[in-house]
Amino acid sequence: MFELVMDIGLIILSISVGLCLIRALIGPTTSDRIVALDSFGLNLIGLICIIMIQQDSTAYVEVTMIIGILAFIGSVALAKFLERGVVIDRDSH
Amino acid sequence: MIEILISIFIIGGCLLSLIGSLGIIRLKDIYGRMHAATKSATLGVILIIIGTFITFMGRGTLLFSLFFTILFVFLTAPVAAMIISRSAHRIGVELWENTQFDELHDSYPEELKPERDNSKAEEISTR
Amino acid sequence: MGFQFLINILIMLLWASLQQSYHSSDLLIGFVIGAIAVYFLRGALNESYYMKKVWALVKLIGLFIKELVLANYDMVKIVLNPRLKKDVKPGIIAVPTTLKYDWEITVLSMLVTLTPGTLTMDYSLDARTLYIHSMHVDDRQKVIDDITNSFERAIREVGE
Repeated sequence: MFELVMDIGLIILSISVGLCLIRALIGPTTSDRIVALDSFGLNLIGLICIIMIQQDSTAYVEVTMIIGILAFIGSVALAKFLERGVVIDRDSH
Repeated sequence: MIEILISIFIIGGCLLSLIGSLGIIRLKDIYGRMHAATKSATLGVILIIIGTFITFMGRGTLLFSLFFTILFVFLTAPVAAMIISRSAHRIGVELWENTQFDELHDSYPEELKPERDNSKAEEISTR
Repeated sequence: MGFQFLINILIMLLWASLQQSYHSSDLLIGFVIGAIAVYFLRGALNESYYMKKVWALVKLIGLFIKELVLANYDMVKIVLNPRLKKDVKPGIIAVPTTLKYDWEITVLSMLVTLTPGTLTMDYSLDARTLYIHSMHVDDRQKVIDDITNSFERAIREVGE
């Protein structure tokens, strides 16, 4: 029963990732694609957590943290690039 | 008994993630999509992580570093939402036609006002 | 605040050394005893009791979690609504704020992002006005009143 629940969770999350991917492909503007990829990263964290339960292994704990950090930094860098044309501001004014 | 609790957390989190993705597909402009992506996906991930923590607690390991992931997601999701929507508004991504008023557009100085036109945004984004 | 916490830690260590054991349960009992001692000493220290601030912080975190759950209920209703075009009327509102410090405004904008139907988009140059994208702008004044009355008050309790 417990295994079945985990499988159902994996299926639901896969559908969710697929929907994000569709938006990232068709999104009319680049900002839409950034939103979709940000949400994609959050869903991947959920997938890895369920895989951790299924395999009974704690090896992926750091992976969840790293994906969270990378998704955030990637979104912020892309948004700043769209806004200013650069990622890192050289002058503060 | 503990398995029922874990199942509720995991399935609830997965359904919330699905709601977030459905919102990203269904809503009509980027600002509405930002609502779905921020709120639903954040709570969904937090519920799944709590379920994982309870599972490993039942098996005899305390994984406190999972809580750092929760803290990180909780702190960064609003910041990312703000920066993405601000940049979208500044480069002139069009609002949905149902939008009632736009007080942010009025607050920009005259020379910085973006042209509210989707073709302009497309041009900037593909440059 | 910091001084009271230091006294509390000192009393905790003193208790543990008198017990001659440093297990976490002894340290916890020592901490509770220290908190009670600081409560009776608060008149001599010319400050208000610091646990009051901790309690305000706990209340703020509880508010965060409650609003996040309510926001998701609201989001589910919007996403699964078949007549999206008729019912949802978004808009961007300027909300003035009276908070002083930068961190207070940061916490306020995070709280607004995680509340039902609102999303912080930008702030003015002097950080006295937040621009908020809201999904329900039928009653513009009500959105502003909600933010000013409940969130700003909870944040100010922690700050002072």
